[in-house]
Amino acid sequence: TGVVPFVALLLLQRRPVAGRALLVTGSSCSSHGLCRSNVQEQTRRQVAVLNATAQELFSLYLKCQGEPFSSESDKLCNPAGIFFPAFRVNRTSERKEVMVAMYKLFAFLNASLGNITRDQEELNPMAKELLERLHNTTKTTRGLISNLTCLLCKNYNIFQVDVRYGDSSKGKSAFKKKQQGCQVLRKYVQVIGQAARVLLPHLSPS
Amino acid sequence: MFSRWNWVACGFCLVLNICSPDASGGLVQSCGHIIPESPVLALGSNFTALCILNESCPDFGNIYASQIIWKIKNRVVPKEQYREINRTVSSVTFNDTSLLATPLTCNILEDGQIEQNIYGITVTVGLAPEKPKNLSCIVHQMSRFTYVMTCTWDPGRHTFLDTQFRLRYRWPEEIFPDCIPKDVNNSCTVTDIQFFVNTEIWVEATNVLGKAESDPLVVDPINIVKPLSPQNVSVSSGLLPTILKLSWENWISNAVMTLKFNIRYRIVDDTDWMEVPSEDTASPRTSFSVQGLRPYTEYVFSIRCMKEDGVGYWSDWSEEKTGITTEDLPSKGPPIWRIIDKSHSPACWTVHLIWKALKPFEANGVILQYEVTVRDKSSLSSPVKKYNVTSTNYTLQLQEGTYEVTLIARNSVGVSPPSVLLIPASNSKAPVKNLRTLPKHDKLWVGWTAPNSYVLRYVIEWCLVSSSSDCIIEWQIAPGDVQGVELKGIKPFKCYLITVYPLYADGQGTGQSVKAYLKQDRPSKGPTVQTKKVGKAEAVLTWNHLTVEEQNGFIRNYTILYKTIDGNETVVTVDPSKTEYTLSSLASDTLYTVRMMASTDNGSRTGPDFTFTTQKFGKGEIEAIVVPVCLAFLLIVLLGVLFCFNKRDLIKKHIWPIVPDPSKSNIAQWSPQVPAKHNFNSKDQMYPEGSFTDVSVVEIEAEDKKSFSEQDLKPFDLLKKEKSTSEGHSSGIGGSSCMSSPRQSVSDSDEGETTQNTSSTVQYSTVVLNGYRDQTPVQVFSRSESTQPLLDSEERPEDHAGGADSPAQRQQYFRQNGGQDEINTDRPCFERTKQITHANEGDLVGFVQLQISGQSSQPLGLGMEKNTQEAALSNVLQTYTEGQTVRPETVEENPLSVDEMPKSYLPQTVRQGGYMPQ
Repeated sequence: TGVVPFVALLLLQRRPVAGRALLVTGSSCSSHGLCRSNVQEQTRRQVAVLNATAQELFSLYLKCQGEPFSSESDKLCNPAGIFFPAFRVNRTSERKEVMVAMYKLFAFLNASLGNITRDQEELNPMAKELLERLHNTTKTTRGLISNLTCLLCKNYNIFQVDVRYGDSSKGKSAFKKKQQGCQVLRKYVQVIGQAARVLLPHLSPS
Repeated sequence: MFSRWNWVACGFCLVLNICSPDASGGLVQSCGHIIPESPVLALGSNFTALCILNESCPDFGNIYASQIIWKIKNRVVPKEQYREINRTVSSVTFNDTSLLATPLTCNILEDGQIEQNIYGITVTVGLAPEKPKNLSCIVHQMSRFTYVMTCTWDPGRHTFLDTQFRLRYRWPEEIFPDCIPKDVNNSCTVTDIQFFVNTEIWVEATNVLGKAESDPLVVDPINIVKPLSPQNVSVSSGLLPTILKLSWENWISNAVMTLKFNIRYRIVDDTDWMEVPSEDTASPRTSFSVQGLRPYTEYVFSIRCMKEDGVGYWSDWSEEKTGITTEDLPSKGPPIWRIIDKSHSPACWTVHLIWKALKPFEANGVILQYEVTVRDKSSLSSPVKKYNVTSTNYTLQLQEGTYEVTLIARNSVGVSPPSVLLIPASNSKAPVKNLRTLPKHDKLWVGWTAPNSYVLRYVIEWCLVSSSSDCIIEWQIAPGDVQGVELKGIKPFKCYLITVYPLYADGQGTGQSVKAYLKQDRPSKGPTVQTKKVGKAEAVLTWNHLTVEEQNGFIRNYTILYKTIDGNETVVTVDPSKTEYTLSSLASDTLYTVRMMASTDNGSRTGPDFTFTTQKFGKGEIEAIVVPVCLAFLLIVLLGVLFCFNKRDLIKKHIWPIVPDPSKSNIAQWSPQVPAKHNFNSKDQMYPEGSFTDVSVVEIEAEDKKSFSEQDLKPFDLLKKEKSTSEGHSSGIGGSSCMSSPRQSVSDSDEGETTQNTSSTVQYSTVVLNGYRDQTPVQVFSRSESTQPLLDSEERPEDHAGGADSPAQRQQYFRQNGGQDEINTDRPCFERTKQITHANEGDLVGFVQLQISGQSSQPLGLGMEKNTQEAALSNVLQTYTEGQTVRPETVEENPLSVDEMPKSYLPQTVRQGGYMPQ
C-alpha cells in the first residue's frame, strides 16, 4: 500500500540519511477517506504558513546561535556548499511536476528540520521559542508531506518518489551543527517563498 | 434488574478462593477439577461447566459423576441442570449467566450422605464495551505555537469489567500514538496536533469480552480551534468626542488562521454590554474604531476572536480595557426649579433656585460653571441680572412679580442650551387631576391626568415625611406629554409626600399632593393606650398617633382589644383619625386589660397592655344621695328657722326675754305731771349714739348654784341693792312697757306668780336670782314697791366717782350690743363700765338686770376684780339704800355680805322662785 513507503520515508527522515536515494514502493493509494477535496487548500495553507514563518525562524535561529552567526550570517550561512533539493518549477510547470518537486523539497526539509531541532535541543535547550518554532515547522512539513502524498496518489496515482536527504550532522562539532542548520534554514527561506508563489495558482480553489 | 446487576457486581468483585485451606488443599484438589477455570462471562449468556473427577481419589476412594452435586454459593443447583457426560465427568448448564453466583463448586455425596467439596471456581460476569458515542474534539490554543486537542466521548454503559479506552488518530499515511485517558474514561488530550491535515479520530474501548470503536471523526484541527483571546488590548481616544480606537494583538498569525472578532463595550457604570456589529469586525484586523459613543464618557471594552469563516470556537473574552472619550458641548440645559419663601413678607420673596447637575452624558464634560440670568417680566425697564454660580443652587431676593430665569451650563468646550423657568406672580393655573401612585418593582410610579391646557412640562416634588425633621424636597422634571414618571431612590416603608406642578407657557399650575409608600409593612410598634377617664360602666381611652416613622404604611384602623381577667376579649375597630374612644357597657369595679393594635395594609402591631379598674359607683350616684340628704337637712333647718321665726316671740320669751333698758329710762326727766311729754319710743332722743342700749342677761343654772360660793354671790347682793336702787328709778312706772321686761326674765315656773305680782302695784323692781326651770334660785331681785323718786345723786353719778376704790364694790357684768364693745370681751368689766360711766354722764341709769347662767363661770371670775365704777355705784347704793335688807336664803350664810349690802328703802322678803310685793 501507499502507507508503507511514506511511513518509511518519515522514519528515514528521523534518521537523516545524506545523499541516499529512497525508492518508494507501492502499487495503490490508501483507501481511506482522509484524502478529501480540501487537501489541496490545506496544502496551500501549509506552504503559506511555512513561508510566513520561515524568515522569523531563520532570524531567531541566528539570534540564538550567538556570535559569529549573528553578525556573519551571510558568510557562515551561505548554503552554496550544502545539498538542497532542486526546485526547478514555476507557475507554468505542470501541476504534477510541481507536486513531485514539492514532495522532494519538503521531504528533505522535514528531515533537515528534524536534524536541526535535535541539534538545537542539545545546543540551546533554553531557547524555547526557537525550539517551539522548529517543532511547529517540522510538524507542518510533516503534514504537508502527508497532504502531498494524498494529492500525488489521488490525483496522479504516484506511489513512488525519489527523495534525497541532506548530510547528517550527527557527530559533527557544535559549530558545524549550527552552521549546517543555518545554511539549511537560509536556503529554506529562499525556496519556501518560491514554492509558495509557484504553488499559489496550482492550489488555489477552483 | 437490580438483583441481576447486584449479582453481577458480586461476581465481579468477589474473588473467592473456594479451595480454602481445607478445600483447595492438595487432598481434595486431587480428586477433580472444573473447567473452565475462573471464566469471565458475558452477562445473560449461556454457560456450561464441567467437573472432571480423578479416577482414584485417595480420600474418598472411587467416586463417580453420578455423585456430583453442583452448588452456587451454598445453594444446590437443581439436578435438571446436571448432565453426566461419563462416569467421571458431570456438567452443569446455566441458560442465563445473570443467575450465576460465585463460587460455583463441584461436590460429591459420599456414603452416609456426607457432602464433600471437590473443586470450585469463581465466575466473573460483565459486559463487552459499548461503542463510544458523541465523540467531539476541540483544539485549545495554549500559547502562540502550542495547541492541544481535547476529545470527549460518551463511553457507554458500565461493563463491570476492566475496560480500556484509547483515543486514536491518524493522517492518511500516518498513525499516531494512542491517547490513553488518565483517571477518566471519556476524554483525552492530544498535544501533538497539526493543522491543515485531515485527521481521523476515533475512540477504541476494549475489555476481556470485546472491543468497540466509535465512529471516526475526520477533522482538520484548524477547524476546531478555540484561539486565545486577543492580547495587549488598548483603547485610545480619537479626534472626535464620540470615537474610541481599540487596538490589540492576535496570538495566531494570519498565515495559520485568519480571525474575525467580536467587540463589546459598555459605559463603565453600566452593566449592560453593547456589541459592535459583527459584520464590521468580520475581517482580520488588530484595531477597530468604535463610533457613536458619548462624549466624555468612560467605556469598558473587551474583544474575542475566532476563525474567520466561523468554523471553530470563539475565544474567551479578553481582559477589559477602559477608555474615555473627549469632551463635547453640554447637550442640554440643566433642569431648574425654584422654592419660594414668602414667610418674611408676602411682597418680598426669597427665591431658592435649584437645578440638577447634568448627567454625564448630558454634560459631555466637566461643568465649569452655571450662568443664571434673571429677567423681571413685570417691569421691562428692570435690568437683567446675571450670576455665575459653581454650585447647583442660588438664592435671590425678589419683589413679588413675574420673573424669567435662564440657566446655562458651561464646560471647557462651550455652553449648553438654556433652561428657562418662569416664576409667575401666582400659581393659579389649572392643576393636574387624578394624582395617584403605584409601586412598580423598586420604583414608585406617579401618574396624573393632564389638565386641559397645554403643559410644557411637569415638576414632580417629593420628600420623605418625617416627624423629627423637615421635609427635604427632591424633584424632577417630566416632559409635558407624559402623564406619569417613576421616582427613583424611594425607600420602602417610608412615607413620601409627592406634589405635581404643571408648568404652562404663561404660568404655573397649583400643586396637587398625595402621600404614598413604595412598600408598606406592619407598624413597628403599637399604640400605647391609657385611660383618660374611668367610670362605672365606661372608660375613655386615649392614645397618641404613631409617628410616621413607626407607621410603616397607611394606618387603616386602630383596633382596641379589651377584656377582663377571665373574660373573653372584645374587639373594637376605631377610625385611624381618632385618638380617643369610650368603652361602654363595662362591668363596675372590674379590672380590665386593654391593648391597642394599629393596622396597615401589610399587617398589624399591638401596643403594650394597659389595665384599669372601673369604678364602683357611677358619676352622680354619690351626689344623688348626698345632695338630697343635704337639701333635706337644709330644708329642715330652714323650716326650723321659719318656725323659730314665727315663734320668735315665744322663743325670745324663753331664751332672750326683753329686759327693759335702763338707759332708756327717762325717769330723771319724768314728771308725774307731764308723763306724756316724754317720748319713750324715740331712741334717737332717748339713746344717743354710743349710749348704753342693751343689756346681756346671764342665767345661772340652778344645778350650778351650789358651786357658787358665798363670796361669789356677793356681787349679786350688791346688785340686789343696786337693783333696789335702780328700781327706784322705775318706780312709778310699773304699768309701763319698760316694766314688763323684768317680769319676763323671771323663770317660767314663776310666771304665774309673776303675772300675779304684775297686777299688783310695784314701785321698785328687785332682781330675782331664780332657779332655772324649777331650780332653786340663788338670789332674786324682786320688784320693789317703793315709789320713792330717784335722788339727785343718781342723776349725777360722777359725783360719786371718788368711791371707786371701795373694797366693798361689786362687779356688774353687762353684755352690750354696742359695736365698740364687741371686741372688748376680754376686759369687759373696766371698759364697759367706763362706757357706762360716760353714758351715765348723760342719761345712763344704772338699771341692771343680771341673770346668772349656770353654764357660765365668767361672772364668778370677773367678780373678783375691782371695778371703780362698780365701787362708785356701790357707794351710791350704800348711800341711798341703807336700811334695806335683802335676804336671800343662800346669802344668809354670809352675814358680812349682808351687812355690807346697800340697804333698800324697804326691807324685802325674797322668796325663792319669785318676788313678793313689799
